[in-house]
Amino acid sequence: METLVAVLVSTLSLAAGYGLLAIGISLTWSSLGLLNLAHGITFGFAGYGAWWFGTEVSANPVGVVIAGVVTGAFTGLVVVAVAFLPIKRQENFPVRSLTITLALNLVGTQILLRVFGPKAKNIPSVFTFDSINLFGTVILPDRTGMIVTAAVVLLATLIWFRRSRSGLRVRALMQNPEGAALVGVSLNRTAVVVMMVSGALAGLSAVLLQEIFFASPYSWSTPLIKGLVIALLGGLGSIPGALLAALVLGATEAGTARFVGGQYVLYTQFALVVGVLLARPRGIGGLLDEVREADE
Amino acid sequence: MTGLLEIRSLSAGYGPMRVIHDLDLVVHAGERLAIMGLNGHGKTTLFRAILGLTDWQTGSILLGGREIGGRRMSAPGRRTHRIAASGVALLPQGDAIFPGLTVEQNVLTGVTSSGTWRRRRGRLDSVLEIFPPLRPLLDMPVGKMSGGERRMVSLARGLMGDNRVFLVDEPSLGLAPKIAAGVIDALGQVELGEGAMVIAEQSIPLLSGRMDRILGMHSGQIKQDAADAFAGISVDH
Repeated sequence: METLVAVLVSTLSLAAGYGLLAIGISLTWSSLGLLNLAHGITFGFAGYGAWWFGTEVSANPVGVVIAGVVTGAFTGLVVVAVAFLPIKRQENFPVRSLTITLALNLVGTQILLRVFGPKAKNIPSVFTFDSINLFGTVILPDRTGMIVTAAVVLLATLIWFRRSRSGLRVRALMQNPEGAALVGVSLNRTAVVVMMVSGALAGLSAVLLQEIFFASPYSWSTPLIKGLVIALLGGLGSIPGALLAALVLGATEAGTARFVGGQYVLYTQFALVVGVLLARPRGIGGLLDEVREADE
Repeated sequence: MTGLLEIRSLSAGYGPMRVIHDLDLVVHAGERLAIMGLNGHGKTTLFRAILGLTDWQTGSILLGGREIGGRRMSAPGRRTHRIAASGVALLPQGDAIFPGLTVEQNVLTGVTSSGTWRRRRGRLDSVLEIFPPLRPLLDMPVGKMSGGERRMVSLARGLMGDNRVFLVDEPSLGLAPKIAAGVIDALGQVELGEGAMVIAEQSIPLLSGRMDRILGMHSGQIKQDAADAFAGISVDH
């Protein structure tokens, strides 16, 4: 029982952190046709933003979270300004933007190294309430806080996407770019909204996952890979699919770490992803939900 | 008398192909205008040029005295959202609907300002009075609907915004005659106020008696008499 609860808590908290990242990647691809590898450095910058605020301004948890979210949203703005707006109508846009966003990761890493040095920084703890004892398993406050925060934010994102006018416009753009233009949807403005929302979610993820990754110039690469894998597994463009995929990958990671060994986590995860994509090339959500065709 | 929509020496086309040749057209406020012509004579291209969707275009298009056209040799679609937001609704041939959204969501995407978004319920109700068959289908994904129903969704969407000019491209295309007549009737019920509606069609009987003015279109130019557009052409259907 204790093992089961521990694995479950671990699953949910990993799913929370990675899910926040994956949704940004998935939304960006399906609405803008941009596979945003710079989501990694967005995560990295947001971690430093939260750390800087926590050490230089105030360790107030709310302030630290906001600092991470704002840094993430701002980085998203920079990415859309560099890797989308200037090149969106050029030939081979998917490959060009892929290259540029990959380059942004490398440039960003060098900036972080030069400004802050190679040493990892510790973001102050955000959740300071007591641990919870569930069936004899002690759940640390950062785990509970992570799960609850991510659940609330993901639900809010889903409602925004389904109910609000700007969410509706993003979905219109995903399904029929010309039809969207005919009802007055601006590609540029939608791009900025999507990238700032994605960046903010990545920023929140960076603050929530800080117990695992800290803030260091290279800490973004593993979260980026997990986010990409979840977005692919969930079917690019499907928010419910991404959430389900985050839970599946979280369970695989937690289960593997517990019963097989932490060093085998990537083996089981990739085996799972390859298996699912062989059987269902459009991922879990690909048939449930609207997705952009890859060749469009 | 100046027009709501004034087109002066418009040429437009795709790649090396010129489809619209030096076309002049004035659409007056409050009128229903039909443009008759056979397939391939530029009706759709004319509408697409007004929305900035052709590969290139030259000449002037004034909407309420403001230039929305001008010379453009590349970047189709770059200005489309701005032209649409300024009050030109293109209700395209077939449909440019969003297949994964429900009927209600599709229709709501037609709202073009945040002010109207706040009053969207009332606006939706009055649009549904024009298309009563859509009312029981509001929660259905559009991808699963019939051609006539999709056409109605596409038309209803165009009526949700604060539009001044409605460009309706072959509303009867592909529909059974009875359904086509129903769609045309519904278009006749739309209150134009200071706006205007331009309908492109191939079938004269369907529109006769319902329009204020009928023009012909032949080889990318407007003919004053609709009969000219069909003169001397052997029709093979």
